[in-house]
Amino acid sequence: MVGGMNHVIEAIGLSQVFRQRQGLFASARQVMAVDDLSFRVAEGSALGIVGESGCGKSTLARMLLGLLPASAGTLRIGGADLRGMDRRARARLIQPVFQDPMSSLNPRRRIGATIALPLRVQGTGRAECRRAVARMLEEVGLAPEIAARFPNQLSGGQRQRVAIARALIVNPRILICDEPTSALDVSVQAQILNLLMDLRARFKLTLVFISHNLAVVEHIADEVAVMYLGRFVEHSANAEIFAAPRHPYTRALLASVLTPEPGLGLPEMPLGEGSPDPTNIPPGCRFHPRCPLATELCRNQAPPRGAVECHFAASGAGA
Amino acid sequence: MNAVLEIEDLRIGFGPLEAVRGIDLVVERGQTHCLVGESGCGKSVSALSVLRLLPKRARFSAARLAFEGNDIAGLGERGMARLRGDRMAMIFQEPMTSLNPAYTIGSQMIEVLRRHRGASRAAAVDRCIAMLERVGVTAPAMRLGQFPHQLSGGLRQRVMIATALLCEPALLIADEPTTALDVTVQAQFLRLLADIQRQMGLAVLLITHDLGVVARVADRVSVMYAGRIVEHGATGAVFAAPRHPYTRGLLASIPVPGKIPPGGRLGSIPGIVPRIGAGFAGCAFRARCAVAMPACAAPVPEHRLADGHRFACHLGPDGAWSGA
Amino acid sequence: MRRAALSLGAAIVAFAAILAIFAPLLMPHDPFAQDLTHRYTPPFWLPGGSSAHWLGTDGLGRDYLSRLILGARISMLIGVSTVILSGIIGTTLGVLGGYFGGRTDAVVMFIISCRLAIPVILVALTTVFMVGSGLWVVVLTIGLLLWERFAIVARAATRQVSGLDYIAAAWAAGCSRTRVILGEILPNIAHHLLVIATIDMAIAILLEAALSFLGLGVPPPLPSWGLMISEGKDYMFFKPWVIEIPGIALLILVLGINLLGDGLRDRLGARTEQ
Repeated sequence: MVGGMNHVIEAIGLSQVFRQRQGLFASARQVMAVDDLSFRVAEGSALGIVGESGCGKSTLARMLLGLLPASAGTLRIGGADLRGMDRRARARLIQPVFQDPMSSLNPRRRIGATIALPLRVQGTGRAECRRAVARMLEEVGLAPEIAARFPNQLSGGQRQRVAIARALIVNPRILICDEPTSALDVSVQAQILNLLMDLRARFKLTLVFISHNLAVVEHIADEVAVMYLGRFVEHSANAEIFAAPRHPYTRALLASVLTPEPGLGLPEMPLGEGSPDPTNIPPGCRFHPRCPLATELCRNQAPPRGAVECHFAASGAGA
Repeated sequence: MNAVLEIEDLRIGFGPLEAVRGIDLVVERGQTHCLVGESGCGKSVSALSVLRLLPKRARFSAARLAFEGNDIAGLGERGMARLRGDRMAMIFQEPMTSLNPAYTIGSQMIEVLRRHRGASRAAAVDRCIAMLERVGVTAPAMRLGQFPHQLSGGLRQRVMIATALLCEPALLIADEPTTALDVTVQAQFLRLLADIQRQMGLAVLLITHDLGVVARVADRVSVMYAGRIVEHGATGAVFAAPRHPYTRGLLASIPVPGKIPPGGRLGSIPGIVPRIGAGFAGCAFRARCAVAMPACAAPVPEHRLADGHRFACHLGPDGAWSGA
Repeated sequence: MRRAALSLGAAIVAFAAILAIFAPLLMPHDPFAQDLTHRYTPPFWLPGGSSAHWLGTDGLGRDYLSRLILGARISMLIGVSTVILSGIIGTTLGVLGGYFGGRTDAVVMFIISCRLAIPVILVALTTVFMVGSGLWVVVLTIGLLLWERFAIVARAATRQVSGLDYIAAAWAAGCSRTRVILGEILPNIAHHLLVIATIDMAIAILLEAALSFLGLGVPPPLPSWGLMISEGKDYMFFKPWVIEIPGIALLILVLGINLLGDGLRDRLGARTEQ
C-alpha cells in the first residue's frame, strides 16, 4: 500500500465484452461495455461515477458486486481477488442499492424477510435476524410495523429505505449505489441522499455512487469519474472536476445540469445528434464524433491514458 | 389578452380519489407555462383532460375550458378528434408509446397530414421532410423510411415533436418530454423546443417534475400539490421569492453544484404525498409542512401579489397568520 | 361478472373435490352391485323412474348416481395426479432453461419441440394398448405427455423474473443458486403455473374420458365418466339420459376448472401488476 492508503477496491485492466445477436442470421456483434479500466477506491471515500445511458456504468456496478465475471482484468475487493471469493464473504464486503424501487424487492416476500435475507444467508438464527431487522428499520427511518408488510404497500421512498436496510444489515464495507434516486421524486430524493450521507458516516462505508445526474454526484462524492463508452474519460477529486473540468465531455455534462436559476436560460450543447454506441466504438478518441474540439489527431489516435483522456487536456484548449 | 388555453375550476376524480381539485390555468400565445409537481399531484391528468384523453372511468368537470376563445368543454368526440393533432398537439415522455412500432416514421407522419389537411402524398412527403429538417434531424428523407426502433431516444423525441408540429398547432402540450432522455440530449431538445416556439408563436404547456427545467424554459409556472395549484406566477418571481412552503421545500431539496458545502444536508420534505378523497378540507400540505398549525385544517385562503403571482396558504405574503 | 365466474368455477371445483374425497360416504348404493332385474331404470324425473335410484341404473342394474360420484373421484384423481407429474417435469425443465439460458436453454427448447411433435392421443392410445389399461398407466401416460405448457410458461416467466433487481440483490446477498431459484424465482412464477395447472387438469380429464371411451383408459368395472358414456353409447338413441348424465357432469367439471383458471389469471395478474 502506497502512502498507507487502504484501497478497498482495486481494478486492474477491467473489461467486459458481451456478444449480442441482432437478428436471426446476423452475426454476433461485440458490445464493449467496460474497456480496460483501472482505478482504486480508498477505504471510507465515495467515488461518484457519472455517464449517460450505454456508457457501461451499470455493467461496472454488476462487476463490482461479483454478479458478472469480468471478461478480462482483475478486481480486488478488500484486498482479495473477487474471482473465486466465497459468496458469503463477498456479501459481507459489498452490497448493492439499485435504481428501481419497484423491482428491487421480491413482491412475494414480507419486508422483514427481505431485509433479513443477507443475514439469513450468513447462517444467523431467526430471533437474531428479527432483532437486526428492527434495528435496521430504525436506522433507515421506518416504523417497525413495516416489517410485516409487502412491497406493494410501500411508497417508492420507503422501498428504497428498505433496500438500504437490506444492504447494510450485514455491515458491509462497501455500498454500490446504482442510480438509487433516479426513480424518485425530488423531495424524496433529498431524503434518501441525506440518509445515505448519514449512514455512510455511521457505518464507515466506502461508497460507489453511480448516476446520470452530475449535481447528485457532486453532492455525495469525494472523487468523480466521468464514464464514456466504457472508459473513465476524466477522473479526479470532486472539487477539481467541478471547478475546472478538463475533458470536453465533462464540460458538456456540467453545462447540461439545469440548476433552478431562471436567469441562466438553456445551455448550448454542441454535441451533435449522434448517440454513443457501445457496439461500434469510434477509432481514435472515442468521443471525437460528438466533440466540438475534434481534430484530425482525435480521429486517428487514441488520447494518452491518464486522469483526463483528451489530446487537449494538458493545454486546456477550448475551455 | 392572447390566451390560447383557458381553464377554470377543473376537477377530475377517479373513484373515491380527487385527483384534481379545482385548478385555474391560462396559457398565452408564445408562452411556456410549466405545470410542476411530484408524481401523483394531478399534473398529467390535467393535461390529458384538455385533450379529452382521460380514461372513461374518470369524473371530469370544468367551469370553463376554452381553446382559442371557443368553449371546448361541450365539444363532442368528433370535434375533439378534429382539434387533436391539428390545432392542439401533445408529446409524451416515451416516444415509443406514441409512435407505432409497426409503421415507418414516414407513413405515420404522412397519415397525420392526410387526415387533417387532406394533402396529396407528394406534398405531404415534402412537408414531412421540411419539418424533420427544421427539428434538426439529419438525412430526413432516409428517416421517413425507418422504423421507430431504428432511431435513438433523442431522435425519436425529435420525430415525435416534428409530427406534433406538422399542422402548425396553436398549443403544444408536452408531458415530461425529456425525462427519459440523457442529460445532454435533454438540453439539446429543450433548446430546440424553445427555438420552434419562438418561431411559430406556439403556446406550450409543459408538464414536468424537474424544477431545473422549469427555471430554464418557463415564462410562467404553476406548482401543483395534491390536485391544487398551490403557487403560480412569473418564473423569475416564483424562483426568486417562493411564497408557498411546498415550493420552498422543493427548491431546497435540489442539489446544486457548489451551493451546499461538502457534507452538508439537502433540505427535504418529510413524509409522502397524501391521497385526497371527497370531503377533505384544509391545506393538503399541512401533514408535511414545517410551519403547519392546527388552523391549517380550515379552508385555505388565496393571496394575490403583483403580476398575477398567487399562492394558497394560511400564512400571508408577510409570513404572518392571515386568519382565514 | 369476472368475480362471479371465478366464484362459480371455484364452487364447481370444490364440489367435485368434496365428491371425490368423500365418495365412499356419499354413494347411496354400492356402485359395483349388479341387479339385472332393474336394468336401465330411468332417472326419477322420467316416467318409470324411482326414488330408489335417483339417476336410474345402467345396463347391469348398477346405481348410476353412485357410479357418477365414484367417477368424479377417478376424474379428479387423474386430473390432479397428472398435473402434479407434468407440473414437476415441465417446471423443472422450464426453470432450468430460462435460468441458465445458453446451451441448457437450447437443449430444453429442443426437448419441448420434440414433445410438441408427438401426437398426444395417438401415443397415449398406443402406449395404453401395449402396456395394458389401468388407472396409473393412464396417469403416467397423460402426465408424461402434458408438461409442455408448464415448460414453456415456466421458461418465459423465469427469464423475465431473472432480470429483475431483486434477483441481483439476492445474489449480492450471497444466496446460493438453489436458494435463488427456490426462494426468489419460483414464488414469483407460481401464479403463472397455477393457471397452467387448471388448463392442463381440464385437458387431462378430457383425455382420460376419451381414452376410456375408446376402452383404453380406466378398466371396467371402475366407473370413469368416459367409460360410462362408452358403455351407454349403444342405447343413446333410445335412452339418451345414459350418456347425457355423465356427459353433462364432464362438461360442468371442465367448465368449472376453466372458469377457475381464467378467474385466477385475472386476479393474480392484477395483483402482480399493482
